[in-house]
Amino acid sequence: MNRTRLLLYIATMITGVIYIYMTWIFAPPEATLHELIRILFQHVAPALTAYLAFGVTLISSILYLWKSDIRYDLVSGASIKIGLLFTTITLLSGMQWAAATWGSPWNWDPRETTTLILWIAYACLLVYRASINDPEIRAQYGSLFGIIAFPAVILSYLSIHLWNTLHPVVITPIGLQMAVEHGMTLGISIIAIILLYIMILDITYRVDKVNEKLMEYRMNRS
Amino acid sequence: MTYLRAIMAIAKKDIMIQFRRPFELFAMFLFALISLLAFAFGMGGDISPEIGSAMLWVIIFLTGMFGFAPVFLSEVDTGTLKGISVAPIPAWAVYLGKVTYGFFLMITVEVFLIPISMVLFGFSLSFTNPYVYATFILGTLDLATVGSMASALTLPVESKATIFPLVYFPTATSALILLVELTRGLVMGPLLIGLDILLKLVAGHLFAMMLLSASIFNYVLTN
Repeated sequence: MNRTRLLLYIATMITGVIYIYMTWIFAPPEATLHELIRILFQHVAPALTAYLAFGVTLISSILYLWKSDIRYDLVSGASIKIGLLFTTITLLSGMQWAAATWGSPWNWDPRETTTLILWIAYACLLVYRASINDPEIRAQYGSLFGIIAFPAVILSYLSIHLWNTLHPVVITPIGLQMAVEHGMTLGISIIAIILLYIMILDITYRVDKVNEKLMEYRMNRS
Repeated sequence: MTYLRAIMAIAKKDIMIQFRRPFELFAMFLFALISLLAFAFGMGGDISPEIGSAMLWVIIFLTGMFGFAPVFLSEVDTGTLKGISVAPIPAWAVYLGKVTYGFFLMITVEVFLIPISMVLFGFSLSFTNPYVYATFILGTLDLATVGSMASALTLPVESKATIFPLVYFPTATSALILLVELTRGLVMGPLLIGLDILLKLVAGHLFAMMLLSASIFNYVLTN
């Protein structure tokens, strides 16, 4: 294992432990939401990281079309899978929040709906990529799809500004609308989850690369 | 002018082929009618004008899956895609010709579908209102744009019919949401966002998708 990777894994583990400590011990209960505030720390960071993951898919798709380097396509494919994982966590933690504060886990709120659309859009992209056998064609067409799927991210992000919504707006242009301790915990949770994303991306990329080589070897042998 | 002629030539070719097989257009209309009835049964016949107007776009969206999928796939079936790729016209002109054809198909179905939906779902649209025309023309063009692109993207896939909806859905959903909102405003009156802004958003979406799709198609045809 090289030095940079080792440092990344150690940093991820340390921030992960701090994240757990700050979420469950350091952050005090909120005045009106009480203990429910802790759901927020499991919700906002995965949501932002999912947007980041799909942004990485967009950028690596553009880079693949520009440079025709298969490594960009592997990053793109890996980032879709992790983005989907974090979108699932966002949806589940959001449902937990909605059940506790709005009385029902699913309310067809614009943010809920557009996040579900986002999940479906990238799941469609994943199935689409899996349905093409030739790695080069998969990379070309998958990159094109990776670009045109991105408006779903914009739609999900802007949904709370376009429609009437129950969803609270925590991050505003004038800063965080919460107590300092909660703001600090949220900040740490974002850093920890982003580091976790980079770590999983690195592992998935390497596994996919080995898989591609294995497939190539099998094809050559047959 | 030459490009416009090329676009119209591609569209004319497809429309003429379509007229040789009019049952396909009729099948699209029947599919739209079946969807309409299925929704009406699902709602137990008790459909508010607000829901009814939204359902209309959902039906148009679903009919698009039926209508737009063969736009490019038919060229693969007949083995004419190679001929189109070497024709002395730019790839984007081929793409726009296909969009024009898709638009023609869908608008023909809508001419019959909209009045029937208005009667069965119990909502009314004023046909003297220019916004109504703008909504349906821009909306249909937008769906034809993304539908044709989705058809082009399914070219390398083995199970094309299964995968087409998976490509069409993510690309068309943002337009569908805007169109549902816009039609709701036309039926129910003022909304949180003005009709002008929504119409501009649809036009912006159409422009962006057309630009993106034409570039994508250019890539697909030249590779």
